[in-house]
Amino acid sequence: MHLGKFVLVRATQIIITFFIILSLLFILFRVAPGDPASLVIDPQMTPEDVEETRAIFGLDKPLYQQYLIYVKNFIQGEFGSSFYYGKPVLEVIAEKLPNTILLFTTSIILSAFAGISWGKVIAWRRGSLLDSSVTVVGLVSHTLFLPWIALLLVWIFAYWVNWFPLTGMITPELWVDPDTGTVRKVLDVLHHMVLPLSVLFTIHFGGFMLIMRSSMLETLKEDYIVTARAKGLTERQIRERHAAKNAALPVVTSVGLSLAFSINGGAITETIFSWPGIGRELVFSVSNSDYPLAQIAFLLIAALVLVANLVVDVLYAYLDPRIKY
Amino acid sequence: MKEYLTRERDKDWLEDMAGREFKTGLGGKWDRWVKGFLGHWEIFRKNKLGLFGLALFIVFAAMALLSYIPPLIDPMYEPMTGVDPDILWTQGPTKAHWLGTDFIGRDILSQLLVGARIAFLVGITAAFMAVAIGTSMGLISGYLGKRVDMILMRVADIIMVMPGLLVILILSAVIGKLSVWNLVIIIGLLRWASVARVIRSQTLSLRERPYVQAAIISGASKGRIIFRHIGPNVLPLSFLYMTFGVTTAILVEAALAFLGFGDPGTVSWGMMLQWVWKTGNMFRAPYWLLPPGICISLITLSFYLIGRALDEVVNPRLRQR
Repeated sequence: MHLGKFVLVRATQIIITFFIILSLLFILFRVAPGDPASLVIDPQMTPEDVEETRAIFGLDKPLYQQYLIYVKNFIQGEFGSSFYYGKPVLEVIAEKLPNTILLFTTSIILSAFAGISWGKVIAWRRGSLLDSSVTVVGLVSHTLFLPWIALLLVWIFAYWVNWFPLTGMITPELWVDPDTGTVRKVLDVLHHMVLPLSVLFTIHFGGFMLIMRSSMLETLKEDYIVTARAKGLTERQIRERHAAKNAALPVVTSVGLSLAFSINGGAITETIFSWPGIGRELVFSVSNSDYPLAQIAFLLIAALVLVANLVVDVLYAYLDPRIKY
Repeated sequence: MKEYLTRERDKDWLEDMAGREFKTGLGGKWDRWVKGFLGHWEIFRKNKLGLFGLALFIVFAAMALLSYIPPLIDPMYEPMTGVDPDILWTQGPTKAHWLGTDFIGRDILSQLLVGARIAFLVGITAAFMAVAIGTSMGLISGYLGKRVDMILMRVADIIMVMPGLLVILILSAVIGKLSVWNLVIIIGLLRWASVARVIRSQTLSLRERPYVQAAIISGASKGRIIFRHIGPNVLPLSFLYMTFGVTTAILVEAALAFLGFGDPGTVSWGMMLQWVWKTGNMFRAPYWLLPPGICISLITLSFYLIGRALDEVVNPRLRQR
């Protein structure tokens, strides 16, 4: 019951935040130098034609009315047409969203899981050779430049040893062939996913591991660890059940805080690997000055980050019974 | 036993420091400053990774300074405009070009050196801006509380959930390609929120201290209490966040340049990677692909390691006992 109320409050906050972002985007596109209609208006058009064009786009109305129309269109799901693809932006973007979610969530879950597992082990063996070497690996992973490590992995594993495909998410010939079974298709996607996933994993692993390590070191100083020792529990039991479970909580928080940062990396990774996701679509639309598409891609990503934040919050509240909602 | 000995040595050393007099000949304020600095350096010095970070920092600073030399030797070493007339396509290392040339015959080494300058420029100014805004906002929010606090922190929350790089992408879609200085301002405006949060929580605890109460009683204005009395006490923390801020600022600039939205008037490491990628040379020219990426990764590592070591200086709790 309490948890239900907590979710409700957070969800309301998130909707408000989203509307603020939506409004900021409106302001941004209006204060920008150049009328939004200037892309369609030809310098040779007569002033009457220009006025007419502006009227078609609703630009002759006062600003607050334009804003209301903008919000109304948004709620009704009318986002206009992409300049580049020539079809409704929603159609363009809808099929890309699952691809982004697939890559993004898998990478976050895998790296958080690996970070927690390694962090607890090296904190337990503080000062050992294992600790110092894994810590250095974590530090390097945390500060690596994502595009570079992506290009490097492509160079080694896709070009040199040729284990994985260079780009894309599927092998088109395979998917066109009606004889291909579902298992084969899933394997094909996984095969394409290995490299982008490794890049995101490499980038995220270090941060999570370092947080888990320091959180575990703090936890090991707690009295209940001494109690557990005094009770005569095995080292393994103390480490896994008493220390690691509590120490993992800050990692969950940091997953929430780093989501916005991770989606940046996700967009770059999608671009490099031509992974058909919304991040890549955003980068493309910005290069092509395809404003309607850029706008919706950005809003969807913002929504994705907000929802993921909500999920992390709820997860945290569920994991930590001490938290007050 | 070994641990005990180090602790004893530390204690001796601290007593030694307490007893020693420092004379800089510039007056008591400077003496205290030098003494404080030496004490902090002693803690910093024990962190080997921090020292490594500092060494890297010095190397990159040297690179930034050396970047002025090649264009003086020959105009063809001009990083952006200088073209070797004998070379038409990318070429591996030679005697004239130690790291080879790019796709139109520009010298990679001189580009790499200039990249260090841009990285420092963007990283340090953007981080400074973020920290200056973040510290003031955190101080104001924490000391004034109530409605000001609520509004500022809500704004901070919204900024923190926004993916910075993508926000900058959208901005450059609207405004056009951003110059380095615009980029610095935007990064500063997008990165202050996390600093403000930390400074705010620090301020919340500092404002309950007796010396603040004393200042209130003696009739100091709010502005004076915030910036004269509480401010100096959060500065070490701000400085710490600045080193981490440099890391993010450099990465954002590089990523943006890599995606093709960098300042067309400057040569940065991200842009070098963009060129090698876009001209399809990444499989052919390792001498071109490797150096910029290594530099970006190492310079961010350098600031990050320095930041971690400073963290130990600022937060005694983190020191290994």
